[in-house]
Amino acid sequence: MSTQATAPAGLPAAPDRITLHNLMRSEWTKLRSVRSNMVTLAAAAGALLFIGLIFSAMVGGVVGNPPADAGDDPAGVALAGVQVAQLIIGVLGVLAITSEYSTGTIRTTLTAVPSRLPVVWAKVAVVTIATFSVLGISAFVTFFAGQVLIGSGDVDTAALGDPGVLRAVLGAAAFLTGTALLGLALGGLLRSTAGAISTLFGIIFVLPGLGFILLPESLRDDLLQYLPTTAGSSFTSVAPDSSQLSPTMGAAVFAAWILVPLLGAALAFVRRPA
Amino acid sequence: MIELQHLTKQYGSKTVVEDLTVTVKPGVVTGFLGPNGAGKSTTMRMLVGLEEPTSGRATVNGRSYRDHPLPIRELGVLLDAGARHPGRSARNHLLAQAHTHGLPASRVDEMLELVGLADVSKDRVGGFSLGMGQRLGIAGALLGDPQTVVLDEPVNGLDPDGIRWIRELLRSLAAEGRTVFVSSHLMTEMAMTAEHLVIVGRGKLIADLPVAELMSRSIRSVRVRSPQAALLQPLLTGHGVTVTTEPDGSLDVIGLTPEEIGARASEASIPVHELSSNQASLEEAFMELTRDAVEYAGETTTTVHPADERTAR
Repeated sequence: MSTQATAPAGLPAAPDRITLHNLMRSEWTKLRSVRSNMVTLAAAAGALLFIGLIFSAMVGGVVGNPPADAGDDPAGVALAGVQVAQLIIGVLGVLAITSEYSTGTIRTTLTAVPSRLPVVWAKVAVVTIATFSVLGISAFVTFFAGQVLIGSGDVDTAALGDPGVLRAVLGAAAFLTGTALLGLALGGLLRSTAGAISTLFGIIFVLPGLGFILLPESLRDDLLQYLPTTAGSSFTSVAPDSSQLSPTMGAAVFAAWILVPLLGAALAFVRRPA
Repeated sequence: MIELQHLTKQYGSKTVVEDLTVTVKPGVVTGFLGPNGAGKSTTMRMLVGLEEPTSGRATVNGRSYRDHPLPIRELGVLLDAGARHPGRSARNHLLAQAHTHGLPASRVDEMLELVGLADVSKDRVGGFSLGMGQRLGIAGALLGDPQTVVLDEPVNGLDPDGIRWIRELLRSLAAEGRTVFVSSHLMTEMAMTAEHLVIVGRGKLIADLPVAELMSRSIRSVRVRSPQAALLQPLLTGHGVTVTTEPDGSLDVIGLTPEEIGARASEASIPVHELSSNQASLEEAFMELTRDAVEYAGETTTTVHPADERTAR
């Protein structure tokens, strides 16, 4: 075993500073090198696909009897897996940051990048690219395969060119990516896997139900439409119903639900000692 | 070169590091010594920007760590060898660090080779022993080929072979002209590795001196065994001399050389059966220096726990 620590060939001179590109490579290495992350990503894509296919098969009469409203929303049927996929991908976003705190690697990360803030953007970029590409592909595959299954019955199908359909398919991928980023933000704020996952599930699941029970009827719809899940469904469905925001407004509200916690997390990341 | 200038860190009303001014020079291994809770880890964390000093300044080669455009090329640090994701392989653990600075994968492989982890580089680090974790941490510290290396308790968990290896590694790094700053709570370990010592207790600087000087400073006593010890004792006492009677009847004399004692005994015709000088061990010298500064002293002994200092916050 040699004790010579110098690199005889010398280390490359360039780059002369820490670049966002290199930080993204580092974050991607961290994300891909832990098996549970990849399993989670695959599980989200799989849930989106298989739930969509099962619903499509039912509507198309391939399995069981088609429900009475078969054919009303063929694109929506194929994208029925979004809710389940949302929970799974949210966990990936949480783990992308809380695993650094639970294992202590955050100190290694921050020692390599003492300016800190670029690490947040690199994490955001890597989580966005990984989830949007994988779940985007999954959403398109699910949509097309779903329409084939639906079309095998005597039921109307949707085409990408139909009004709102392309937006709904891309919207599903964007909605899932946004949920992952919300998980990342909550993980960054709370620094605890359990805490961030429960908070995320609380926002997704509990808030709408709680709002429904507690809010007076006159305010209920007005306020509930601003919750992230409701706002999100305005652009993931082909024809949002009248109680919802318009797709553009819904996207803006959903984006705010992500950006505000994310900025908070970035601030905490820079300010609070690791 | 590391310079600490009036470095101070307070958590609430507790001062963990107090007005520490030290220069750590290149070319030698400098030991950073102190009992647990003395503020060693906190000092190192401030050095790399993981903690903000309450006041004062810590610089690496003239600049604060975070102002270096490529910090790990300037200073490599091992703070906590346990800081690794159990599900990640050793190679990927280092790759993630290397990527931040655009270092090639070949550098990661070189370092794995250097620390003797090449054979297990693809294994998940969750299964690593404490010693393997230390080696991985050292590989990470050396990744950027830094001019300054800071290691917090690197010897913890290493087997005797590993301890010898790290001693040689540290000396060779210093011989290459690098600044090597290594903390420990074990004096004996430092005495074998370091040439210079910075000793702290309760966050304050106690001593900043070469190991050789500490050795010469360590208290000498002379053991005298005589059948007429009671007669000899008054002949030895005097200014600056302490004579203690040991349970076995022998005398322990501090402040006189064996020659002086022998001469006096001979003048008085007192037979002497044993005259031996013993040098206080470095460990004792260290304990002496830090006696008042031990954070958690036991009833009779100074217990040193290998536990992480950060729990002392």
